Amino acid sequence: MSSAALAPTLRGLGDRAPWVLAALCLAAYAATASPYGLRVLALAGAQVVLVLGYQFIFGHAGALSLAQGAFFGIGAYVTAILGGRYGLGFLASFPVSILAPSLLAAAIAAPVLRLATHYFALATLGLAQVASLAAVNGGAFTGGALGITGVPGIVFFGWAVPRGLGLVAAVWLVVAAASWLSVHLTRGLTGRAYAVLRGNPLAASAIGLSEQRLRLAAFLLSAGYAGAAGALHAHILGVVSSESMAFSVMVACLAMTVIGGSTRLAGAFIGALLLTYLPEWLRSLEGYSLLAFGAALLAAIVAAPTGIAGALAKAVAALGRTERPILPTPAELPVPQGPSGLSLLVVRGLAKRFGGIEALKGLDLTIDRGEILGVIGPNGSGKTTLANLVTGFAPTGGGTVILEGRNITALGASEIARAGVGRSFQNPALPPELTVLEIVTLARASLEDDLGFRAALAGRDRSDRRERHEAEAMYFLRSLGADGYAHALCASLPYRAAWRVEIARILALEPKLVILDEPASGLTEAEQGELARTLRRLARLGLGLLVIEHNMPFLLPVADRILVLDEGRAIASGKPEEVRQNPAVISAYLGRKVGLA
Amino acid sequence: MSPEKSRGSMTAFMQLAFNGLALGAAYALVALGFVLVLNATSAVNFAQGDLVMVGGYGAAALAAVLPLPGIALLPMVMAAMALLGLAVAALAYFPLMRRPASAVFISTIAVGLLLQNGALHIFGPEPRAAPPVLSGGQLHLGHVVLPYQSLAIVAVAAVLVLGQRWLFAHTQLGRRMRATAQDREMAAALGIPVRGMIALTFALAAALAGASGALLSNQFFVTPTEGGALILKAYIAVVIGGWGSLEGAVLGALLIGEFETLVAAWFGYTVASALLYGALLVILMARPQGFYGEAAERRA
Repeated sequence: MSSAALAPTLRGLGDRAPWVLAALCLAAYAATASPYGLRVLALAGAQVVLVLGYQFIFGHAGALSLAQGAFFGIGAYVTAILGGRYGLGFLASFPVSILAPSLLAAAIAAPVLRLATHYFALATLGLAQVASLAAVNGGAFTGGALGITGVPGIVFFGWAVPRGLGLVAAVWLVVAAASWLSVHLTRGLTGRAYAVLRGNPLAASAIGLSEQRLRLAAFLLSAGYAGAAGALHAHILGVVSSESMAFSVMVACLAMTVIGGSTRLAGAFIGALLLTYLPEWLRSLEGYSLLAFGAALLAAIVAAPTGIAGALAKAVAALGRTERPILPTPAELPVPQGPSGLSLLVVRGLAKRFGGIEALKGLDLTIDRGEILGVIGPNGSGKTTLANLVTGFAPTGGGTVILEGRNITALGASEIARAGVGRSFQNPALPPELTVLEIVTLARASLEDDLGFRAALAGRDRSDRRERHEAEAMYFLRSLGADGYAHALCASLPYRAAWRVEIARILALEPKLVILDEPASGLTEAEQGELARTLRRLARLGLGLLVIEHNMPFLLPVADRILVLDEGRAIASGKPEEVRQNPAVISAYLGRKVGLA
Repeated sequence: MSPEKSRGSMTAFMQLAFNGLALGAAYALVALGFVLVLNATSAVNFAQGDLVMVGGYGAAALAAVLPLPGIALLPMVMAAMALLGLAVAALAYFPLMRRPASAVFISTIAVGLLLQNGALHIFGPEPRAAPPVLSGGQLHLGHVVLPYQSLAIVAVAAVLVLGQRWLFAHTQLGRRMRATAQDREMAAALGIPVRGMIALTFALAAALAGASGALLSNQFFVTPTEGGALILKAYIAVVIGGWGSLEGAVLGALLIGEFETLVAAWFGYTVASALLYGALLVILMARPQGFYGEAAERRA
């Protein structure tokens, strides 16, 4: 083997070495631990699974769910009832324990996942309270306040896994399986797609990712993991009571996740083990452990937002050599050939109301292939509303939007982005913590449906496919002159580069229509010239463009046609020189704002 | 108390409605403090319920040293709680000012944990009671019994709610606090000390929580873990009243107090709680902007 081929293998070993070492330590500890120590170790394993699940919804999807404790409790109760009362074995009760909270999550997901942060937190908290009340007042079914005793251990096909070392091994096998699945689902591009969702939900929709679907998948997984953790907990303790569902379970899970790290595998282990053993170590300080818990949570959220695992990763990265990452070689993509015939975009009677204000009052417009339509109008005339309605970022209040003969009026933003309408925003919608290359790569992967947990399970968001998407992304970045920024973080991107990245991200989805909202603002004249040449080049390729702009010296030469909006209505439309001389336009807008030559 | 045992169902209803009003008035102080912080910081202070609990213990502990009526202890409790509010702001809000709002949610959960376990350590798990505001007597209005304590709760809550309104509407300080809540950047540009205003808001919210705790703990006693239920009720009141609306929060709290008291009288406390949370879920799903509406849909 050549040394070049050996290097990645060695590096792979280097990455795994801490894990192998940790597993050996754990095994050595388990082999020598007392029965009580084994029990704590098994309980810690269940907590690892709980936190791994919470990482999906809280860490990856960035939604503060307060129902994780309830899902855990439901899993525990299902196992207790099926195993303790009906004598079912592990192979029957475990899947049901996973399924039950997942089904509950699915049932409430549609209305709840739409809610903004605080409402989502409250709704999940309300759900947890209802579940907890149901457990306490469930009569004989849930054992009331006393709960259910005599929950059997893990039984496979009539063989009872012995308590002690056997149970620890079984629990930690589940931990290993849960970890494997978790890593598999999040280490590829799908994990980065969730980072977009957290960092800038608009950007997620703009690259064709459905916020709803990403959140739903994370919510279901978190519930399923919690159910599994609850089931293990029930098997280990042999008793399930309403305490398994108390808010303190939720708070502990939150603390473990925040302290350990909310997106890293190691974070789940560090958080769960630390907070399970902390009370054991502080036993001499009886009762102070919960105080320490609160203090640790506060300290972590303030001082280590990415948790201990994040801080460790940063430290390791700072110690190690900083290799300059190699840029992927750009792919050579064919020049797109749009079909001809129908008008590209036909908008009829588009209307929108905000409370008492009519932002758009029945607007009609068409855009042909290869045409640049400039949209101007005073502030509040409805320009951005027009862009939001056509791209599905706001629901319409009447009218239809037809793209190449297909009615896209009722589609959501991510579907419209994939249907062929790309857009930019007044403030670039770029997730701060991703690199330029990543966001454009994700747009390519989104186009081919290579994102999401299903794609991740099939391995479609990794290795050669990822490399291909990266190479294609480089093609778009190079064609916009932004390849030099490929490894820059979006947060650190200078303004003059942001428009190039935005357009590269739009083109990566191979759109038919591109909508730009004030693309020239903040650019120097030289940059404006380059932007204008870029827009003409895109039009020559057959794309339709809708450009909203205040900057007349930029827009008038580049646009084929100008549409003038005033108070939600089109007051003029035509070639730039016609519009320029239209008296209604001059009085409504141009005359007031811009001195015209 | 079951309604059959009362003399007439009307009398029973009046009695319950009054009890509900007194409970709702105390909740209103909790909800008001919650919504003040919410407006000033766009963040949920999840420790607001635990601050109420601390206020209850504070009043009980103070009464053990100073044998004064509740009305004399109240200003002292509120002043001490205002200081605690400043500490909460310094520990759990200011370091996270530029982070997502959920970070403050979590940091205040941590503060709640500290307060609960601190109280457990100092006072133990047994319930405590603060002295009554005036005395333990009661007023009879027909067959309806109006305990002085309940009347005092309603009166004190009314004074504090109106006082807060007066502060915001008619004083320079209140206007500055409102400006900070509405648009922090603009307020800072106008020379308003934004951090100071936010710190004051935390102090005011904690003082209101303290008052609520001192008032509630006479009748309902105080335990280290009661904060959890209270924050949930404040949260629900604010949702019902329209996120961010001060009047809405007070109305929502009164509504919850009445709902709980009336439903609990007929169906028991568990059913009342379950129905309350169930109603909350339905409201959130059907009308997330609350009954009175949030700020209108933003113009894009």
